[in-house]
Amino acid sequence: MSAAGYSRQEMMAIATGREIKDGELAIFGVGLSMLAGYFAKEHHAPNVRAMTEGGVFGATPVGGLPWGIECNRISANATSFTNALDALGFLVASGRCDVGIIGAAQVDRFGNVNTTGIWEGEIGADYRPPKTRLPGAGGANDIACGAKRTVIMVTHEPKRFAERVTYLTSPGYLDGGDSRDRFGFQGGGPSAIVTTLGILRPHPDTREFWLDSWYPFSSADEIRANTGWDLKAFDHAREVTEPSLAELAALRRVDQTGALRKEK
Amino acid sequence: MGMGKLISLAEAVRRFSWDGMQYASGAALPVGSDAVVFGRELVRQGRRDLHAVFHASSQQLNLLAAAGAVAKVECGFSGLEVFGFANGLRRAVETGRLLLEDYSNLAMALRFLGGALNWPFVPATTNIGSDLQYRSAFSGEGRPKIPPVRDPFSGREIGAFSPLRPDVAAIHVTLADVAGNAIMLGTEWSRFELSRAAKRVVVIADAIVDQDCMRQFPNLVRIPDIIVEAVVHWPFAAWPQASPGMYDVDEEHMVLMNKALATDEGTASYLQTYVRGYQDLDGYLDMIGRNRVEVLSRSETSFLVDPFRRWIVPPEHLAGLRGEAA
Repeated sequence: MSAAGYSRQEMMAIATGREIKDGELAIFGVGLSMLAGYFAKEHHAPNVRAMTEGGVFGATPVGGLPWGIECNRISANATSFTNALDALGFLVASGRCDVGIIGAAQVDRFGNVNTTGIWEGEIGADYRPPKTRLPGAGGANDIACGAKRTVIMVTHEPKRFAERVTYLTSPGYLDGGDSRDRFGFQGGGPSAIVTTLGILRPHPDTREFWLDSWYPFSSADEIRANTGWDLKAFDHAREVTEPSLAELAALRRVDQTGALRKEK
Repeated sequence: MGMGKLISLAEAVRRFSWDGMQYASGAALPVGSDAVVFGRELVRQGRRDLHAVFHASSQQLNLLAAAGAVAKVECGFSGLEVFGFANGLRRAVETGRLLLEDYSNLAMALRFLGGALNWPFVPATTNIGSDLQYRSAFSGEGRPKIPPVRDPFSGREIGAFSPLRPDVAAIHVTLADVAGNAIMLGTEWSRFELSRAAKRVVVIADAIVDQDCMRQFPNLVRIPDIIVEAVVHWPFAAWPQASPGMYDVDEEHMVLMNKALATDEGTASYLQTYVRGYQDLDGYLDMIGRNRVEVLSRSETSFLVDPFRRWIVPPEHLAGLRGEAA
């Protein structure tokens, strides 16, 4: 908890929520992603059309952060239950979904995400088991391919910010430049990497992620020191606006159990 | 009610499983509706070398992997959401005891759809350009994973996904009649597609209802009896996961189970207590704890079952319905 009375995780959730605009068709994952999304709905985007990748529509979590995206905490007030093919296929792969929020164990300078595993060194041509197995793609790959834009939420640590992900689970801008374009994805790629220290955004030509902003409690130098590539900064890079009392109150109404207040 | 397919869990596993088969379940999400108890029975009966096809991981797959019952897995997600990594599965993958082929959640649903439609392959633009396309745990088998294919209309390269037609699917449902008509409350995830893709379907129902219930809500019967081989009645079949309308996730046991499956000793102890620790349904509910059964049943979602309650067959009336035509 900072002197200002909010945690880094809360700042990250608020900064992510600010990326969501009213009326958008949005898909949220479990955990931080859902908190950021429902914060936006509570604070400035009351008409956001939220769904989960299981096909739960019209629901607001009750009794605390859902344990999963189909948990009873998000199934107690839904207006429609359908299925994965509907949510991830008909509504995301089709190109209809405006924005998705995804997490990352590792992210690289072109916004590619790894959530599959950690290997020591290069994996090599053949399959070999990871040193640490992570949860895999889930719907994040589908959201990264299909949503009009994605916001990546990740704790800012050097081990997570790599020059190149060891395993590319969900595509950002691949090798940068126009390399994503040749796959013909419906989705446009990540518009921001929002972290516990600041916000990075892609350079319009190279698609490399540059420093866009830092928080009241962080700095450009601290962000550079925690980023595994030579991080450049936009000329317009600045400090983000501190969370307002209204924002914090809205976030804490959503985060009833205080998951974000426990400083990691 | 004619055409009864109601059989015991033990008999269902005896008749509809064998070593080395391609076994599908977990067509729900990791903390929700999955036929977890079917997996416990697979372990009790010593099934081996399963080729598991789980849309997303669940405690069932976690248990099967920890118990060494699975040789290979195809899935879209291998964690337990907010409960973290699935330790049994993770350990089996990291030690190389089990080969895990990664897809995404949409890819798995599309592959079930392809199997259901008997398509030769499913074209899609998801997963391409990533290591999901380029890396295969099954590369030793010499079959391409997601080969590129040219769209004959636009001329661009997209991905070709192999359809799935599992030998058997064990599908958790909320309500079923003894003929096999089934209603799922909550998201279906991919249980609808899987029920058409699998060669044989066994439904595991939290409650059995009179067929009049299905005649009242035919639009909700997404799994009709004509594609179902057997019906198993087993309350708390998804425990410790949740079944919307019936019971909440058992947070304490989710943690206990995953912690146990993180080691060999813990797994042995878990199998002793929670897999071999009951003889029948009564013993199973005793094992969960009758008090806990009560608490978990008081779900914020209970109202979802209200329209169906009048048709739920009391457990004491089920014995007479069992095994009529089975």
